[in-house]
Amino acid sequence: MIASAPSFDGPVVSVEGLTVRAKQQRLLDRVTLDFAGRTLTAVVGPSGCGKTTFVRTLNRMTELTPGLRVEGTVRYLGQNIYDRSVNPVVVRRRMGMVFQRPTVFPMSIWENAAFGLRLVHATEDEIDAAVTEALQRSGLWEEVRGDLDRPALSLSGGQQQRLCIARALAVRPRVLLLDEPTSALDPAATQRIEATLQRLKEEIVVILVTHNVAQAARISDRIAFLHSGRLIESGPTAEMLERPREALTAQFITGRI
Amino acid sequence: MTVAIVLTLLGASHFQNFGSAFFGFSYGSWGIMTFVVGSFLTSIPALAIAMLVGLGVAIASTTYLPKVLAAWLDPFVDLLAGIPSIVYGLWGLLVIAPYFGTTVFPWSTGHLSWIPGFAPAKFAPTPGIGTSLALAIVILTLMILPITTVLMRDALKSVPRDLWESGLALGATPWEVTRRVALPYAKRGVWGAAFLGFGRAIGETVAVFMVIDQIERLPVNIYSGTSTMASLIIGTFDNALLTNSYGHEYLHYLAELAIVLLAITLAVNVAGRWLIRRTYTEVAGL
Amino acid sequence: MSGALAVPRPVGLDDLTRDRTGHVVRRTWFDRAMRWLLPLLYLVAILPILDLVYWVARGALPSLSLATLTTNPSPGVGSGGGLYAPLVGSVAILAVATGVALALGFLGGLATAEYLDERSAGIVRVTANIMAGTPSIVLGLFGYIAFVTFFGWGPSLAAAGVTLGIFMTPYIFRAADLAYSSVPSHIREAAVGAGARPIQYLLRVASPIALPQVLSGVFLAMAIGVGETAPIYLTTTAVELPPLGLFAPASALPLYIWSGFETGLVLPSAIALAYEAAFLLLVIVVGLNILVRLIAARARRRLEGLFQ
Repeated sequence: MIASAPSFDGPVVSVEGLTVRAKQQRLLDRVTLDFAGRTLTAVVGPSGCGKTTFVRTLNRMTELTPGLRVEGTVRYLGQNIYDRSVNPVVVRRRMGMVFQRPTVFPMSIWENAAFGLRLVHATEDEIDAAVTEALQRSGLWEEVRGDLDRPALSLSGGQQQRLCIARALAVRPRVLLLDEPTSALDPAATQRIEATLQRLKEEIVVILVTHNVAQAARISDRIAFLHSGRLIESGPTAEMLERPREALTAQFITGRI
Repeated sequence: MTVAIVLTLLGASHFQNFGSAFFGFSYGSWGIMTFVVGSFLTSIPALAIAMLVGLGVAIASTTYLPKVLAAWLDPFVDLLAGIPSIVYGLWGLLVIAPYFGTTVFPWSTGHLSWIPGFAPAKFAPTPGIGTSLALAIVILTLMILPITTVLMRDALKSVPRDLWESGLALGATPWEVTRRVALPYAKRGVWGAAFLGFGRAIGETVAVFMVIDQIERLPVNIYSGTSTMASLIIGTFDNALLTNSYGHEYLHYLAELAIVLLAITLAVNVAGRWLIRRTYTEVAGL
Repeated sequence: MSGALAVPRPVGLDDLTRDRTGHVVRRTWFDRAMRWLLPLLYLVAILPILDLVYWVARGALPSLSLATLTTNPSPGVGSGGGLYAPLVGSVAILAVATGVALALGFLGGLATAEYLDERSAGIVRVTANIMAGTPSIVLGLFGYIAFVTFFGWGPSLAAAGVTLGIFMTPYIFRAADLAYSSVPSHIREAAVGAGARPIQYLLRVASPIALPQVLSGVFLAMAIGVGETAPIYLTTTAVELPPLGLFAPASALPLYIWSGFETGLVLPSAIALAYEAAFLLLVIVVGLNILVRLIAARARRRLEGLFQ
């Protein structure tokens, strides 16, 4: 199942000296950070600090923007994902991504969840099992199990977002990347997603970008604080909130920046 | 306001000449079916090809080409739309037709004769003469290519970026995202493009007339000539100018044909535009 | 297992460098193929244009001269001569048509954008779209029935001009409608707030802003109108002289090509003349299109600040 790879005991994702440049600017500056299995790490910082860029380098989505240059290494289970022999398509299967706004496809709920599996021509049985499992893991199963052929667009915003999570989970990635997934949702929906994430972190690596410190406080195990493209500080949540080492961190936590 | 007035005037005057019931839908004398079929026989293949090429170009433009290159190349396609149809006709007649007659047809009668319609029947193409149903289809395709391309490009562009990135983030190749996400999303826009392109195609008169080897009969194969509704009107208009009773009847006949053409075109265009508008309203309704 | 890594290499799906199922390679190759094949389709559009322009130029330029533009075609269409009459005729017809189209389209568009409520505006716009979709030959037949016959103008400059004008109206309508609708509302509010009467607002504030777009629309409509054959063919006849008056027949460039075609383009001089007429048409159309782009670019630069 989703146990840690037995032959590897380093961090699942390891970032070293990651620098991202656009024209003359540095969007990320020599960030070094590790993500271990079974943790939920919240990446926080003021707007423009580079947290979205950061998370997008983890699954090579930065390649979609022309003009971005990536330096440094990002390792997934020890392998540099930016190595020439690695196909981004493969990387993205191991790291699921959920965006800020729900991005369900114009298809049925079932087809949405099955999307990733259809790409690799999985058998109907495999799809069946995986979709059911994914919907359960994302907390959506009970609400939709009766009618999976309904168009996904008929779901509420919070449900759509959970469908996006399910869709990402269906291909059984080890890492789940989320970029402010609840900022477009109401508090009730937000709460359900947070609950889902807390369950998921028991199984996989969850990396959550959020501008909401309270949310980070609620559900994360570790917090990484970025500012102007630099990693200022990172550590266990409790420590970061109560005894931050850097002044900048303290200012952010308390809302001054 | 004034627009409405003009439109009703339009319809009215044609109706005025409806007069005698010449609704002969049979082939042959006073029937119009030959030409309705002719219109469809030219427009539908042209539409099919234009849609395919247009879709390919639209995908290339939105998915694959770097923005700068696309911005440069796209105006070329739009240029196709600006060329007046007689110039197309002239070029088609003087340049392409001989080419077809001397080079393409001999080849296709030999190598492609297994496709229905491509084999020379009793009326084999006169060597050297290229005007034919085939040529009309080709020219028509070129003329509606810009519409289909632009509309489909717009439809694909209307796919939100987030949706696109989601597809890629799931480990799909750009092609797969386009095929499985963008196209279904833009489906109505694509159909809209089809309808509008068809409307333009059956309305095209001059160029078609010049290259189709006009004859008031159904085509035997793609090398023979035929007529479309539009090309008939312009081609045989002289008959309507005769001052005798035949001329008078003929004018009625043409007017009636024109109304049929107008009705079909209108229906198709309205459907097309409605479809295109629906792509956007559906998104907004989210 | 590669010995270069210090850490044992993951296996199975986690091995990023080996495609276990063979799928990924296949899918990537397909994608790559499409990346190169699809742009080739652009050629389907570009090559014919180039070919067309080449042949028209080749047929027209050798014999094109000032004389061509200033002499009338010889009697007996297709036997040579110049293009003076068709040229003048085209210009005259276009002038009448533009006048009609402006009257109907510009006023209509302006009225729709400014005075009508949403529902009526919607209806009118749909009607305009419908008008834009009518085949030109149907319009031509209407022109014949209405103007040549019913009104009794006979094949004439007036008939052709008005018919073409009706054809061009929806384009100008759309341009005017869009132009005036897209004047930002804060500008309008500022004007009203400063105490301007509606007429003043229209004349001094909205129109200068909307003008470039309207002008573009007009030129675009003209570019389309000058090349149209069908509306003209049924409403006037090709003559060898420039139009003598509003209700006299007028020839036109497309008409000339058409007549040449009908009598059979056999004589080289006839062919050359047809090409020359086509060439002139292309030049006019391209010229107008360039004009449109220039206007649009200049307007964009000057009005940049307005739209934020």
